[in-house]
Amino acid sequence: MTIKSFKVNFKNKRVLHTGIKLLKAFLILFLFLGLGELIKYFIEIPIPGNILGMVLIFIALKLKLIKLEWVKPASDTLLNYLVLFFIPFGVGLMSYFDFINLYWVILCVAAGLSTLITLYVTALIQQKLEKHD
Amino acid sequence: MTELYKLPVFGIVITLIAFFSARTLRTKIKFVLFNPVLVAIALIILFLVVMDISFDDYNKGGKVLSFFLGPSIVALGVLFFEKYQLIKHNIYPFLLAVCCGGIISIFSVSLITVVMNAPDVIIKSIVPLSVTTPIAIEITKITQGIPSITAGVVIAVGIFGNAFGPGFLKLVGIKSETAMGTALGTAAHGIGTARALEVGHLSGAYSGLAMCVNGILTTLIAPYVVIWILG
Repeated sequence: MTIKSFKVNFKNKRVLHTGIKLLKAFLILFLFLGLGELIKYFIEIPIPGNILGMVLIFIALKLKLIKLEWVKPASDTLLNYLVLFFIPFGVGLMSYFDFINLYWVILCVAAGLSTLITLYVTALIQQKLEKHD
Repeated sequence: MTELYKLPVFGIVITLIAFFSARTLRTKIKFVLFNPVLVAIALIILFLVVMDISFDDYNKGGKVLSFFLGPSIVALGVLFFEKYQLIKHNIYPFLLAVCCGGIISIFSVSLITVVMNAPDVIIKSIVPLSVTTPIAIEITKITQGIPSITAGVVIAVGIFGNAFGPGFLKLVGIKSETAMGTALGTAAHGIGTARALEVGHLSGAYSGLAMCVNGILTTLIAPYVVIWILG
């Protein structure tokens, strides 16, 4: 009886611990997001605050101001569900059916051609210049 | 009760149901057109049209979900830091390749749309078509295009790159797996990266990094190219 209750208690503690870790990780991510938005607010630069946040968190990790394991739980969670978050924008296409009906040829040609050109140029340069070891 | 669909929770719940069903379908059938995003979007649109529910009502919940795009972009910076160690020794060829690819992408798509006499709003909406959807949406807000058109085209490009990218690259004589990864990440963002990961672990790392770098590059350049082209 006492052993059983101890085990339950132990398990709860671990769950709580990972929960707090995750919360802390999200807090840090939001802190950098806020920092990015703040910079964007005070300096007139045409870069979205969240992209500034992305650059800032990379620099902070690189300079060892924050540790990877502090933020990894939150970033892994978010990236795992990344596609979920932009589904609403995709659903927004339903308001533009007429528009797409009119211009689908242009959209397909432009997207298809430029994607193939980009793939080829990027791969060619990387293949020509990269070092192998 | 009849007004239930006007609550934010409605949009959230149907998006979650559609997303997780689409994800399960993908694990069962590995067919490229069964891409979870594509299937989920199609399911939701179908449902809303059949039930005669407006996008604005759906989007009350949709907005809650898209709010998380902000912190997700910050999370990309963490991903970049993790993968950066793997490619350190090849960083300059890599950066050069991604920057050239990114610039070519912006200019080729602008030129093609101008040559085909497309209306301005198309150029404004599809200029960031090769970068990851959340960043592309941010860029479209700056260029004053239509974010939904951007999302649609960007997802389509990703699926196109995922399906045909490696085959096309082999056809034109690309043998290096890492070069393939860099190209997939630059041209076809996250959905292309998913394919690069199937090619190999290192290829996937290059692809993820290329996606981040091209995202920043396109943010810096695309708005100016749009202004320059449209006068």
